[in-house]
Amino acid sequence: MKIGRINRLAGVVLAFALGAAGLAGGAAAQDCSVKVGAVLPISVDWGQPIAEVAQFAVDQANEGGGIGGCDIDLVLRDSQVNPSVGVDAARALVDLDGVELLIGAVSSGVTVPILTSVTVPAGVMQISCCSASTALTDLAANGETNGLWFRTFATADVQAAVTAQIAAEQGLESAVVFYKNDDWGQDYGARVAGYLESMGIAVTDSIALNDAQPSYRAEITQGLQGNPGGAVLVLYPTEGAVAVREWLSLGGSQTFVMSNSLRSDEFSEAVGLEYLGNALGMDNAAPRVPSADAFVAAYVERFGSQPNGPGIPNSYDATMIGLLAYAAAGPEASGSEIAAAVARVTDPAGTPITADAAGFAQASEILAGGGSVMYQGATGNVTFDENGDVSAPAVVWRFTEDGTEEVRYLSLDDVNGIVAGN
Amino acid sequence: MIGVLSYLVFFSTVAAILSIAVLGLNLQWGNTGLFNGGVAAFFGAGAYGTLILARPAQEAQFGGFDIPYLVALAGGMAVAAALAWVVGRLTLRLRHDYLAIATFGVAVAFENVMRTTEWLSGGARGVRGFQRPLQDVIGAGLTYNLALLAFVLVLLALTYLFLERLVASPFGRLLRAIREDETAARSLGKSPARIRLTAFVAGSAIMGLAGGLYATTYAFISPQDILPILTFQIWAMLIVGGAGNNRGAILGAFTIWAAWTSSGWLLSRFAPSEAQLYTGTIQYILIGLVIVGMLLWRPQGLFPEKLVVSQSGRTNKPTKAGSVPS
Repeated sequence: MKIGRINRLAGVVLAFALGAAGLAGGAAAQDCSVKVGAVLPISVDWGQPIAEVAQFAVDQANEGGGIGGCDIDLVLRDSQVNPSVGVDAARALVDLDGVELLIGAVSSGVTVPILTSVTVPAGVMQISCCSASTALTDLAANGETNGLWFRTFATADVQAAVTAQIAAEQGLESAVVFYKNDDWGQDYGARVAGYLESMGIAVTDSIALNDAQPSYRAEITQGLQGNPGGAVLVLYPTEGAVAVREWLSLGGSQTFVMSNSLRSDEFSEAVGLEYLGNALGMDNAAPRVPSADAFVAAYVERFGSQPNGPGIPNSYDATMIGLLAYAAAGPEASGSEIAAAVARVTDPAGTPITADAAGFAQASEILAGGGSVMYQGATGNVTFDENGDVSAPAVVWRFTEDGTEEVRYLSLDDVNGIVAGN
Repeated sequence: MIGVLSYLVFFSTVAAILSIAVLGLNLQWGNTGLFNGGVAAFFGAGAYGTLILARPAQEAQFGGFDIPYLVALAGGMAVAAALAWVVGRLTLRLRHDYLAIATFGVAVAFENVMRTTEWLSGGARGVRGFQRPLQDVIGAGLTYNLALLAFVLVLLALTYLFLERLVASPFGRLLRAIREDETAARSLGKSPARIRLTAFVAGSAIMGLAGGLYATTYAFISPQDILPILTFQIWAMLIVGGAGNNRGAILGAFTIWAAWTSSGWLLSRFAPSEAQLYTGTIQYILIGLVIVGMLLWRPQGLFPEKLVVSQSGRTNKPTKAGSVPS
């Protein structure tokens, strides 16, 4: 009995000692921490990989020494793809957790109110992986973002320019534009029509298609009226398949130009491959540079699958660039100081660094010495324009028996040439 | 510390705005028994109305009236009331679930119209260019948010007092009479159709006020703000708070909005790091559990409706036992 008690006592003492040792060890490795906020739609299936890869970037940055020796703590909040919930989450991150760097959101309808009512008033830097809306470009151009806003996703403008270029190369003289009736589709549709006109292709009509309708017969009939030579499809697979089947059955031309969203087997199976022989699509491409391949390899090693999903490399780069800029500005930096440091980590004249823990460590050293670096990330050498926007390479693709194949690769310079040329 | 204050100010502003919308729904459902499934439409009408009237001129956009803010806010209410009048004239002959379906359809249609009419509403990109009133004078910081909260609370108090007076008045009795038994009310020479329309328009104008304030807070509104989930949130607030009780409506709004937001915050802070990716889903489950739990164990809400005999409008004088209600 007595021995038992002593043993127990010894056990308790030992446990305390171990605990204290553990705490001491923890404290040595982590005497400070820096919180970084993220507002992402993690309750949505496609949103989760975007958050996972952001966490992956944070883990690598911690491995590479963190920010000025401080561990980075990513505080992840769900936006529920709902503006009021997303803004509240951002507000809590800024006010309660005191973050100076916010990653997010995905939907432009959530990103814009966070930017205008939380991060800009509070002077917090915001970087998004995936918002494509040109409304954000307008906000930045009007000076409403105070230079605090960045994104690593090419705007709808870039996608639209390439789409129009494909239509020109297909020899279309007139075309009708069908677009999905949401912020992405409206933006993309309006811009592709503008580029088509400036390339000398007559746009007979631009028609919005609402989600999940059983039939688009009225819209298709309207689209056929101008007798267009082909159709530009800025649609998602479900409504795209319905619309294209009706288009063909009503005698529409088989020349199509497709947005990246239609690059899916679901679409080609529903329409029938024999009708898609003269259909070409555009897609944003991972650049053909070693750093992008390195990202894919690292991703496969970490997650055991290919990074096939919207916004995954963009999310990685958004997080990495934010953290590198934070490291450049130091752990005590304010949001505007971090935003100002972005130029130092995406400096074309700077030392090239890789997108991994070693690269982060190397960059931290150079930045601490007052130098600048060129971050080579999952989407290539990211450079922001004065509105915080990026451009991206593109591919032209078509459907084949077993999926899709690439027809042509347009490098970043090619894409910028198309955008600038019109 | 200042951060906590700043967040609480923001949280209270949004919760108070939602309370106003819940009060509007309480007038319709709690007092009159009108099942409005299209709250988002009237909320949205107020929001869009206010911003479009108040914003300065913009390229390729309707408006540019640059109307003084308070007038624009009243204008937003008027837009919501006008929409309610049209919808009410068409649908109020419908009962219960039929009315719910019809008004739900109106809300979906309204959202789609706003999504499509780019010249009016900016389409899916939303209304921009609106500057919050007095922001140049006060600045965009905490002081401004405090002032905005005070403004919202004053309007919430006014709405509450107005509705309390209304409910206690003979008109309020009439609303309840129609809710309980329309035929009986008609047999007493009342005109239920007109009264139902009045209550519907008044409740919708109050929702429009909430929408106008909501859009003011964010200086932005887009179709994503007026999805059917908003109607669901407002309804959940009323059911949890207690349909038929104005204090319950306000408490319900604060409770549900707190549950909705704090669950995410608590999870982000205390959930183990490997579970962080699933907090979004867990949050939905928690919100659902709160609502289901309330319905199971306290279906009358936090503050149940006080059932009254008709003279309780003068509750400060205890009625004598056996007195005959007039």
